[in-house]
Amino acid sequence: MSEEPLIGVYICHCGGNISDTVNVEMVKEAASLFRGVKVAQTYEYLCSNPGQDMIKKGIREHRLNRVVVASCSPRMHLDTFRQAVKSAGLNPYLLDMVNIREHCSWVHDEKESATAKAIALIRGAVERARYLEPLEPKSIPVEKKILVIGGGVAGIYASIELADKGYQVYLIEKRPSIGGHMAQLSKTFPTFDCSACILTPKMVYASQNPNIKIVTNAEPLNIRGSPGNYKVTVKIRPRFVDEDKCTACSECTKCCPVKKPSEFEENLIEEKAIYIPFQQAVPNAYVIDKDYCLYFTKGVCRLCERFCKGKAIIFDQKEENMELNVGAIIVCTGYEQLNLKKFGQYSFGLHPDIVSNLQFERLMLQSVHRPSNGKTPRKVAFILCVGSRSNSSNGMEYCCKIGCMNAIKQALLLEKAVPDAEPWIFYTDIRAHGKGYEEFYASARNHGVKFVRGRAAEVMPNGDEVLVKAEDTLFGMQIEEAFDLVVLSPALIPNQGTLELAEMLGIDLGSDGFFLERHHKLRGVETKREGIFIAGCAQGPKDVRETTMESMATASKVATFIGKGEISVSPEVAYVTSEKCNACGICIDYCPTKAIEEAQNEVAINSISCIGCGICVPICPREAIDLNHCTDSQLIAQIRGVCEGETTSPKIIAFLERTTAYGSADLGGQNRRSYPANIRIIGVPTTGRLGIKHLLHAFAAGADGIIFIEGDDSAFSEEQLRNHVIELKKRLHTFNIESLRLVSTTTTLPQYEKMLDLFETFTERISRIGSLPKERRDEIRGKLGGL
Amino acid sequence: MEVISAHTIAPHLVNPLFTKEVMEMRGGEKILDCIQCGVCSGSCPARFAMDYTPMQIIRMVQLGLKETALASSTIWICASCYACTTRCPRDINITVLMSSLKNLALREGISTKIETKPKFHRSFAEVVRKYGRIHEPELITKLMKKTDPEALFHNAALGLRLWRKGKIRLLPSKIKQRNHLLAIFEKASKEEI
Amino acid sequence: MKYAYFPGCSVHSTAQEYGESCKAISKVLGIELIEIPDWNCCGAIDAVYSYSPLFSLALSARNLSLAEKMKMDVVTLCSACYHTLSRTNKLFDEDPKLKEKIERVLNSVQLDYHGKVKVRHYLDVLLNDVGFDKITQHVRVPLKGLNVAPYYGCLLVRPPNISNFDDPEHPRLMDELIETLGASSVNYIDKTRCCGASLAITDEAVMMEMVKKILLNAKDAGAECLITPCPLCQFNLDVKQHDIESSYKLEINLPILYFTQLVGISFGIEPNDLGLNKNCVSPTKLLQRFEITR
Repeated sequence: MSEEPLIGVYICHCGGNISDTVNVEMVKEAASLFRGVKVAQTYEYLCSNPGQDMIKKGIREHRLNRVVVASCSPRMHLDTFRQAVKSAGLNPYLLDMVNIREHCSWVHDEKESATAKAIALIRGAVERARYLEPLEPKSIPVEKKILVIGGGVAGIYASIELADKGYQVYLIEKRPSIGGHMAQLSKTFPTFDCSACILTPKMVYASQNPNIKIVTNAEPLNIRGSPGNYKVTVKIRPRFVDEDKCTACSECTKCCPVKKPSEFEENLIEEKAIYIPFQQAVPNAYVIDKDYCLYFTKGVCRLCERFCKGKAIIFDQKEENMELNVGAIIVCTGYEQLNLKKFGQYSFGLHPDIVSNLQFERLMLQSVHRPSNGKTPRKVAFILCVGSRSNSSNGMEYCCKIGCMNAIKQALLLEKAVPDAEPWIFYTDIRAHGKGYEEFYASARNHGVKFVRGRAAEVMPNGDEVLVKAEDTLFGMQIEEAFDLVVLSPALIPNQGTLELAEMLGIDLGSDGFFLERHHKLRGVETKREGIFIAGCAQGPKDVRETTMESMATASKVATFIGKGEISVSPEVAYVTSEKCNACGICIDYCPTKAIEEAQNEVAINSISCIGCGICVPICPREAIDLNHCTDSQLIAQIRGVCEGETTSPKIIAFLERTTAYGSADLGGQNRRSYPANIRIIGVPTTGRLGIKHLLHAFAAGADGIIFIEGDDSAFSEEQLRNHVIELKKRLHTFNIESLRLVSTTTTLPQYEKMLDLFETFTERISRIGSLPKERRDEIRGKLGGL
Repeated sequence: MEVISAHTIAPHLVNPLFTKEVMEMRGGEKILDCIQCGVCSGSCPARFAMDYTPMQIIRMVQLGLKETALASSTIWICASCYACTTRCPRDINITVLMSSLKNLALREGISTKIETKPKFHRSFAEVVRKYGRIHEPELITKLMKKTDPEALFHNAALGLRLWRKGKIRLLPSKIKQRNHLLAIFEKASKEEI
Repeated sequence: MKYAYFPGCSVHSTAQEYGESCKAISKVLGIELIEIPDWNCCGAIDAVYSYSPLFSLALSARNLSLAEKMKMDVVTLCSACYHTLSRTNKLFDEDPKLKEKIERVLNSVQLDYHGKVKVRHYLDVLLNDVGFDKITQHVRVPLKGLNVAPYYGCLLVRPPNISNFDDPEHPRLMDELIETLGASSVNYIDKTRCCGASLAITDEAVMMEMVKKILLNAKDAGAECLITPCPLCQFNLDVKQHDIESSYKLEINLPILYFTQLVGISFGIEPNDLGLNKNCVSPTKLLQRFEITR
């Protein structure tokens, strides 16, 4: 504190909502006697214009440099009052609010205890106010460039949207061409659009757009920096062909002596070791597969080089790295299909006429035929849910979302191509949720597609034919039929490398293995890390329509994020005191947003990545880290202020994570639920902010029990909370404090019942154990000096 | 098939405690997870001889239709071949569930259309308890006396054929420590799982 | 290679030729089988279990505790015994409450079991412990041109968390054994489909329908004989084949051998030592083809 604190305390009646239970006059009298308080006043409605004017007037008249407003929850009016004090010339961070409505008058019936609690809470705020510092939010410039990882339809659409808005986009793709799985499809459901026909114009547009730079054969190697300023190293594998010189004349492929299975054709057809992924590939250039090329495997040949008129072949092309500086990153890495060989009962790989649904797409485009003998297939079985809706060890729990509609589409296409075709679909439940889907299903039934309700039990090669056995559960008979071709629908899983990419980016995966969105309903394209977004099947299986909509939504969110060219960053972040730091690095792994990095002789906290959770503060063995607007001095002062003084017994301090847990307690108040007034709530960024020091101060100052409540979506995870509390209990034990005096739990926003139950039972428990004896408190106080 | 011939499930056949009871038995832990996909019924080699399919038995358990499930021929015709269990996508051990249902039916004395099976299990256990090893001639004689005395002749012809090939022992093979058997049986009956 | 040998009840009665042929080839290959003294019925999958589950498990566990004293792994010839003993072992390991109950029952007759015995099927021991190379070395009569269909049955390969030495849907080990002996393995559907052994006594008609499918499928695929690793399966396929032929008015005439008998034939062992006179559907023509007379 550089100046003497002159504190003004303003207490709201809230039109009786507070004053009917809390004796606000008594509170005013008590507050006016607190250390540093220059003026204490009450008013009917502090949030109203006259109320705010009163505060502004008080600041000017009494030269107040700290303001405490005791009223409703800060989640209601913190901004209102901050604006008010700011307009009176005071830094808004020199204001503190005390919740004596949702956390006091609305939840306690007995006036005496409610008033005593209100006084205690205000004392805490006043003590804390003495240590408040002025803070300024930071504005940092952002790179108006975006990195899109993945060149399938999701990545292409997101890139085009952003490019059209005027942003520079880097679209990197792992394979030698963009297009993804959509380029492999024949037609899309339910409109029968030709997939390549609707995709390739967009691919061409993307390649010609000056705002989009497409880099293929490329993957991110590492990602550093912070939201608005990410630094990415991209690894580009050599294609051994100069993209600019190659004219795709195909002379090279004609003379290449080596054949290999074509990935684009799902291994149904062979291509040469020098190949173009597909005719409309973008970039429209050839590429050499060095696992098959004779030059790379045996050191001979190089025929293609001789025949290439454009001299485009570069055998000594090396891997290179590209450095990018971007403001935002969009993950569009898509899906792959579960390995069908894991399902022995379907005999995939044991007969050429047992194929996957993607393979069938390619077969449809090669004038549909049986892979075994090239003849036209007539009777075809479509087996759905292979590995989906399964909790056995080789399957996935979730529905693949596109299997049913895809099979219906393929059945209808087969009927169009083969006049006397007999498609059968073996299903568990037909999912036809989207626009036009149910009608599409009806159309299939009306065209004579046979639907058997029963997941196929086995598929067995039998000489020339393939047998399918299933139970028709609707009728109640076993079916065993012979087919010309069997098409399996495998589960869709996250693409290879997803786990590594998530770690690299510092974002989470859901329990299904796909990238996790920030909020299921409200923030579906954001991730837990600011500036990193997701779109398409990277987030979970979906069809093309949903994918393009997600891409466009993501583009909009990205534009909002970096559109102004700068982002505003909260000043409530952690910082390191260099003299105390010895660069031990313990804090680095604990940071949930990778905001701490090693620097010279110390660690550096990136104030833009920092979300102010406070987890790093008690971790530091040298107390070298502190948190703005929730410093150790402020926190300890508040704890002591709340605990000292009046004689409520037992006294229980509940530290609540300030968003979800605090909000939940507010909800409890809004619902007028009662709990004992022994409970005093203090909001903290996360309960990870608290260390043994804070607990001991609480006990020394008069607390008898402590509760930690964390939000279930907090950066401080349930497991971390559990481990943290276990450690704290061990340390409390060494100070002769029973570990029963500390309890913790997590909560969701609407779960306030659980919290209030805990308040009841814990108060009872502490009452039974009894208050801490004075001698113990004195002992702790003595030892605190050494901490 | 009184359940199907009525147009609604007769209320007196529904026993909600049955579902909970089965969930506590081995093989029944996950029956609420069954999505009735039919892979079990489709895989079952003996299904053709059953009145209800394995999938339908699980449905009955889900609905609480205790008597109907336990009186079915299904649980007795199950050959314990594990084809269903190997393929069930919800990880339900259907084979062991059938075993547990058989045991429940035997304990509660619920009569079934297939009379021979319960008697077979009792006879088998009795012979093993007596000698420690099975003795087919005594098993079959015991069983046929209870169920189908005429079949004794048919089995006698088979027995003769086997005896000629030297594939039958007329005298039972007994273990030495037969005192173990009775003691184990007594103790096991008290402890039942 | 020493093992605690659990023959099982069938090998003592209806499947004596299985035990004889097994002993004969074990001698040649140096596998020492020491019969578990005073072994009892394995528990017979459901036959006893349905009536009294804990009795069945305790019976099983008694065998394991006797084998544990011999400090050897158990090897058995019968797929059902293999399953029943392995299942008890697994439950003992995974279910502490059940383990306690089984222990209490065993203790009541002064026995105990500590879960230290592994249970193996003889086919597994033959192919994985002895190995295909060693088998090839002892082949004296390569069975060239003989089309043999391997019948695996159900409990040898399922469920995969108890029987895990071959693939549950497309097992290959017996096919490879057949090829090693110089014969041709026949690929046919239903080679792991259950024969209905547990229904043989009470629901004979059902069992015969199940067996008929297997025999016809194998025959249609060109099999000249079947081999099997289980005495219950062999009984249904061999002893009852005649009854099936007359019931369905078919002619099948497919010799059903134990895989040990086939190995023995190719090792040049005397047919009578392999119990080949006990197989009901006569393998004489088959033997004559390789100039083996009984």
